Amino acid sequence: MVQKSISFKALYVTMTVIMTPLTHKANKLYKNIQLLWFYRELLWNLAHREITQRYKQSVLGYAWVVLNPLFQLITMNFVFSVVLKVDSLGVPFIIFLSVALLPWNLFVLSLTSSTSALVGNSSLITKIYFPREILVYATIIAKLVDFFYSCIVLVFFFIIFKTNITIHILWVPLILLIQVIFTMGLSLILAALNLFYRDIQYLLSLVLTMWMYLTPIMYPVEMLPERYRFLFALNPMAVIINAFRQVMLSGAGPNLNSLSIALAISVGVFIVGFLFFKKLEGEFADYV
Amino acid sequence: MYNHIAIKAENISKIYRLQKHRTFKEFIPALLGRQETLIKFNALSHINIEIKKGESLGILGRNGSGKSTLLKIIAGVTKPSDGRITVNGRIAPLIELGAGFHPELTGRENVYLNGSILGIRKKQMDRLYDEIVAFSELKEFMDQPIKYYSSGMYTRLAFSVAVAETPDILLVDEILAVGDIKFQQKCLKRMEEFRRSGSTMVMVSHGPEQLEKYCDKGLLLNEGKQLFFGDIKETTKKYAELY
Repeated sequence: MVQKSISFKALYVTMTVIMTPLTHKANKLYKNIQLLWFYRELLWNLAHREITQRYKQSVLGYAWVVLNPLFQLITMNFVFSVVLKVDSLGVPFIIFLSVALLPWNLFVLSLTSSTSALVGNSSLITKIYFPREILVYATIIAKLVDFFYSCIVLVFFFIIFKTNITIHILWVPLILLIQVIFTMGLSLILAALNLFYRDIQYLLSLVLTMWMYLTPIMYPVEMLPERYRFLFALNPMAVIINAFRQVMLSGAGPNLNSLSIALAISVGVFIVGFLFFKKLEGEFADYV
Repeated sequence: MYNHIAIKAENISKIYRLQKHRTFKEFIPALLGRQETLIKFNALSHINIEIKKGESLGILGRNGSGKSTLLKIIAGVTKPSDGRITVNGRIAPLIELGAGFHPELTGRENVYLNGSILGIRKKQMDRLYDEIVAFSELKEFMDQPIKYYSSGMYTRLAFSVAVAETPDILLVDEILAVGDIKFQQKCLKRMEEFRRSGSTMVMVSHGPEQLEKYCDKGLLLNEGKQLFFGDIKETTKKYAELY
């Protein structure tokens, strides 16, 4: 028998991270990466569980991942294009909407599921040690897989409307990466907080609704009066969504200035979220 | 430096700060009104133990004496409020079996999932799989979702996964209401094998007889305080005197 003897205690040090010097922090981060690597199979297994369990016992099964956004898009297209006649910058509105709404859905679903990821696995948290952030990451991985399937809808629209695809679409993975980093940071904070105060999950759905209207998803940024534009600069999701739209539809590269700011904010949010999560981790089992 | 040590607890205390208020609606007025928002509860105070590799520890004490809290601290599930704990080796907790099981997944999927929760690699699980199935005696049911399992089958499978690989440290909480007599004996036999191959065991129980049979050392707890730590025979004697 192979004895993989790793000292859990040596790796599992979650003291006051924020107060300790930087070298200490770097060391801690390194140990955490080691630990994550050790538990990588658990990460995949939990993500796999998340994906397979959900649509068991439903007739259409995984098809819901595609059907849901499809009907959402058709309805919103009718309201915003036919009824409200929102300008869509020369492309069919449903395409204009899809390239923004699908990533936004990914954001919303990741956050809402992550928020209850710790609480929903309380039986594990109180019994066995493993790095708790794995529960959050697994949730996000599962939502990413859903997202890729939901993009079938987009491809379908691209084909119907014979949309021109340019080389700039290659920016998409980078933009998506920025979005995922941002989502991970927020998710870690929300998941940890929700464990102590269940109000977070209700507050979140309220905030996300407001956030959606303040992000240029159903309308182009250009429609907004100049003096309110600064709102978007402060909103990483607005920059990200707008960048998706630019690289896929306008046949041009993204605004690198605002994208770098979004990247910086996302990495910042992730670091804060990670340290916050790790600081509280040792107490999860006592409160859940 | 402590290579021969499996578990070392230095002056461990655990204080639970229980939140009186579960929601903002209750919490914020209390905070503004400068009321106490936390209830403190000393679950463990000043515990000092040292267990060498291959030794087994039996923890005795009444309900609420802190036995399970200590087990949780050793498992790394919760961290001590004060003091230091050192644990060397892979831990297999037999605390409430089947915590990682998911009802919608099949027996086979759950075995692999639970294995990865315990930190066992997939390759190794592939090798252990047949043995796990044989031990659980559930061969015909492995491809069914475990929500169709009886509770006995459920715990049998969980136990089989937990003991599939010889752990460095086995944590056992109030053992073995698992399955029928035959299965229980099989489990005890397996634990005996672990002991012989050099695993460290930590057992919690109300029953002194069982502990005397399996442990070398004993820890007697009362209301979170360490009354005695030493030879198991002496511990059970002190336990008997206490009640």
